[in-house]
Amino acid sequence: MALLDVSGFSSFSGFGKHRQAQLVDRPNHYSFGAKSQEFAVPVGVDPSTFLKSCNCEDGVSIDMNHGTTTLAFKFRHGVIVAVDSRASAGSYIASKEANKVIEINPYLLGTMSGSAADCQYWERLLAKECRLYKLRNKQRISVSAASKLLSNMMLGYRGMGLSMGSMICGWDKKGPGLYYVDDNGTRLSGRMFSTGCGNSYAYGVVDSGYNEDMTVEEAYELGRRGIAHATHRDAYSGGVVNLYHMKEDGWIKVCKEDVSELIHRYRKGMF
Amino acid sequence: MLHPSLGKILLSCLERDLERIQFLDGFRGAAVPVLWNFMYQSDDHLPYSLPSISVQSAIPLYISPSVPLPFPLGHGTTTLGFVFQGGVIAAADSRSSCAGLVACPESQKIIPVHSHLVSTTSGTSADCALWKRILARELRLYQLRNRRRLSTGGAAKLLSHMLHPFKGTELSMDAGTQSKGTDGKKTGSVSETGPRLYYVCSDGLRLQGELFSVGSGSPYAYSILDGNIHWGLSVDEAVSVAREAVYRATHRDAYSGNNVDLYHVTAKGWRRRKREDLKEEYYREKERERKRVEERRREIENKKQTK
Repeated sequence: MALLDVSGFSSFSGFGKHRQAQLVDRPNHYSFGAKSQEFAVPVGVDPSTFLKSCNCEDGVSIDMNHGTTTLAFKFRHGVIVAVDSRASAGSYIASKEANKVIEINPYLLGTMSGSAADCQYWERLLAKECRLYKLRNKQRISVSAASKLLSNMMLGYRGMGLSMGSMICGWDKKGPGLYYVDDNGTRLSGRMFSTGCGNSYAYGVVDSGYNEDMTVEEAYELGRRGIAHATHRDAYSGGVVNLYHMKEDGWIKVCKEDVSELIHRYRKGMF
Repeated sequence: MLHPSLGKILLSCLERDLERIQFLDGFRGAAVPVLWNFMYQSDDHLPYSLPSISVQSAIPLYISPSVPLPFPLGHGTTTLGFVFQGGVIAAADSRSSCAGLVACPESQKIIPVHSHLVSTTSGTSADCALWKRILARELRLYQLRNRRRLSTGGAAKLLSHMLHPFKGTELSMDAGTQSKGTDGKKTGSVSETGPRLYYVCSDGLRLQGELFSVGSGSPYAYSILDGNIHWGLSVDEAVSVAREAVYRATHRDAYSGNNVDLYHVTAKGWRRRKREDLKEEYYREKERERKRVEERRREIENKKQTK
């Protein structure tokens, strides 16, 4: 229309055409992404090119390492989730009792590894989405759907420098569920996962002690051992072991034990 | 004291060996001529001691530019060694990989250096094989000259000093030398007894310790070793822990696999266990688990029936 052209107003072209980043002024952020799918990007700087400049050898190099150890495994009586509690910023230990498990609802748990800010924000967002799903559909969200929501959030910001390695554990109609979700958008279902830079140490221990029909006590001990040995050898893991057990009627927090005491117990008799 | 004429005969034998080694090394352009200067000193009248690595000329020496590596080399292996009351155990996998290709599924990563000294290797196979041969020769010379075996610490020190001129070039090697020390035949010097384990790396690092694991599969092995190793292990227990650790590492690490080699070093020397294919271990474990699940099921059924 003539008036539209003269005023220079260009309507939102939508899908198919080159998407433009628009500065939209809105009264609040609560309805962000509710009506149409939106992605928020910081003003001015393009995150992916900024990060590429940070990762090259000459100049500043920001290493995004997942500095932690978390592990989870499925067995006959549910899912065991064990995490350490050290939050590090480079070589500084920012917190020795960080909480790396988010209790999404009484039957869903999410672990965090990688950048603490990213994990906390996105998993809280996931918790909100799960709650909304329950209110809208009058039934609990399945573990598979919850992990898919999270992985789609990650895919939306792929290449922009998010750093998150998380495990979504729960018990739904299909039984115990365990999914690994990554900042690349990887989503894997499995029997046992371990994330973070101490994961290789945990894998060795849990692999050798695992069998499908362990008793509950044996499973607790295996989870504790995995984290304890990983914190013993990995510099970026430490603090306490937070152990959760996901059962059919919800999760329970089993224990919170200091890693140094555990290691002394296990290595009694060492020279 | 070695008779001068005998000394010359030995030297001429070594010259021939050196020519062969120089040929092998030519491909990498390593600075072989630099190191071997000291060997040709003809001052027979001086008592032979450990060969000195000091370079004599003031002019900058010929160090040929090292050939750049075609791809970044990781130490794709799992080797481990630990000390306990029954001696020293050395275990390693047997896979040699070249980027994504398994170049040799049956390589030897543990090389016996002499009757009481065993060395594990990690890094480029060529470098490791060459330097172990050189080390073996140096130790034999020492033994002939001084009528006693060089201690493990001395051997480790010798190796790390030999590698020092190559620091900064792309030599890649990690070694764990270990031996159960001999006693007796010394001439009054401090005798070293007992098992010893050293970790030597091409950066020049040399550490003494009681438990080491090297390579890309080492984190997986470390956690198992940490929990189960202590001084009072019996030989059978130690062997089974070492095998389990290598097995777990090969299970998770792509660059380790195939077979596991085990050497047990005692005061009488080293003994090699028969090479075991880890594929058998994997199937045995699966079989065990299957049996356990079946037994469990039977128990549950019996309980239901009795109720």
